[in-house]
Amino acid sequence: MTGPLDSGATDTMAYKPFDADLLIDASAPLLHLRIEPEFRAGIKLNLKTASKMAALVEQIRLADDTEPAPVYRP
Amino acid sequence: MKATATASEIAAAVKAGEIKARQVVAVALKRIEAHNPMVGAFTDVTVTRALEQADRVDDKLAAGIDPGPLAGVPFAVKNLFDIKGVVTRAGSRINRANPPAEHDATLIQRLEAAGAVLVGGLNMGEYAYDFTGENAHDGASRNPHALDHMSGGSSGGSAAAVAAGLVPLTLGSDTNGSIRVPASFCGLFGLKPTYGRLSRAHSFPFVASLDHLGPFARSARDLALAYDAMQGFDEADPAQSKRASEPTLARITHPVPGIRIAVADGYFTGDAETQAHVRHVARALDAAHTVRFPDVQAARAAAYLITMAEGAALHLDRLRDRPEDFDPEVRDRLLAGAMLPAVWVEKAQKLRRAWREKVLALFDGVDAILAPATPMKAPLLGQKTAKFGGVEMPLRPNIGIFTQPISFIGLPVAAVPVWLDGAELPMGVQVIAAPWRENICLRIAHQLEAAGVCRAPVARGFADD
Repeated sequence: MTGPLDSGATDTMAYKPFDADLLIDASAPLLHLRIEPEFRAGIKLNLKTASKMAALVEQIRLADDTEPAPVYRP
Repeated sequence: MKATATASEIAAAVKAGEIKARQVVAVALKRIEAHNPMVGAFTDVTVTRALEQADRVDDKLAAGIDPGPLAGVPFAVKNLFDIKGVVTRAGSRINRANPPAEHDATLIQRLEAAGAVLVGGLNMGEYAYDFTGENAHDGASRNPHALDHMSGGSSGGSAAAVAAGLVPLTLGSDTNGSIRVPASFCGLFGLKPTYGRLSRAHSFPFVASLDHLGPFARSARDLALAYDAMQGFDEADPAQSKRASEPTLARITHPVPGIRIAVADGYFTGDAETQAHVRHVARALDAAHTVRFPDVQAARAAAYLITMAEGAALHLDRLRDRPEDFDPEVRDRLLAGAMLPAVWVEKAQKLRRAWREKVLALFDGVDAILAPATPMKAPLLGQKTAKFGGVEMPLRPNIGIFTQPISFIGLPVAAVPVWLDGAELPMGVQVIAAPWRENICLRIAHQLEAAGVCRAPVARGFADD
């Protein structure tokens, strides 16, 4: 299993399908964002695309010692 | 001298005393006034400043002082570069309320120190989150080769201005393809240098992890001329490398002995029309071998997520205060970007490091890799979908599928323009090299130009007056 967004049979049994509306409604107040009704369809579409992108990223196994790309140089 | 001369031709003529810089700049300003309403390339024209700088170049020549390698060359910049005294709009409505910039961007300073003359700011997709060249506030920058087609974005005005022969040289930015896509659609030479090579100081950012700046021109020589003048460390850009300057122009005509060039297959194959453009270049370079980038879809996906999240963080206050004043397509992507789980972005940044190592290994066997710059020629303005692999998909986010993975790890790329026989529109091919090997990209681009395989003519409707 590589992540909650995989579409493998085990995962879909174990996790609820992604609901973009729930994420929007939960995170907008946290972020102090005002979501007008006409914004919602576009945001949902983009979140769904992002979730597919995240699934692609999660398919790649990364070693625990993989450094993220940007390195702060004091 | 033709009004549509290249930067190299202009600089040579000005230095030889055949023409005054003021005359060159006056002709450029006249052409901008006459043709810009059709192409929508310029948003700001800095007439007084341009004529004063032209006079300074002429005064130096009169005093026997070399004004620099770009003497009298008019150029313009995407309107996310700070131009002293001009508001940096970055393609937005919101930033128009900002005070005028107090400094010129570092790259403008460097080009003017080399004798070039800034003539204005150029149209772009809002906040650079765009591949079309359309702009919800300023109107589209149009493709000079077919005015009802896209210029490509987000540096659309930068490409349109050069393809229409308004100026021989422009600067743009490239986060996921915003130099290479418009270069492809408008049939130009474009250079996206290695990440960290050129200073981004005093330009409006988009995605700090992925932002690059670079030039457009109608010849590889002009790219090298500008690129050499812009190199050099600038502590005002924290991402810039301290690597010493590596001039490219002096040896641009030298063939690289024993050079090994391969074609990227797999993910980068493209449809039949796209393949024909890559093959045209590959044949001329005897690039018979292929290489396969591993895990490209994941790499592109990681760039996509980093872009959404960093873009959202940059614009969070504006998204809170003035969401209605964004281009709705940009706003909705940024709002979604604000809501992404942090772990996705962290994983994407780790993948960036891991993928870099895998791709750099490809360069053990080759010096340069060819790949298409775009999956199609310039679409019609307003077009919303296109076929990708036979499937109808949203156009806007997918125009950059071939450029996005390459900038993800900051490799240098020259986009070279290909016109197949009888074609109405060009398509670009990416010449990709290992980090810091811009010299290889530019020498190959020059070789293709010299052989007549690649060319960047001024659009037919905009030839010399």
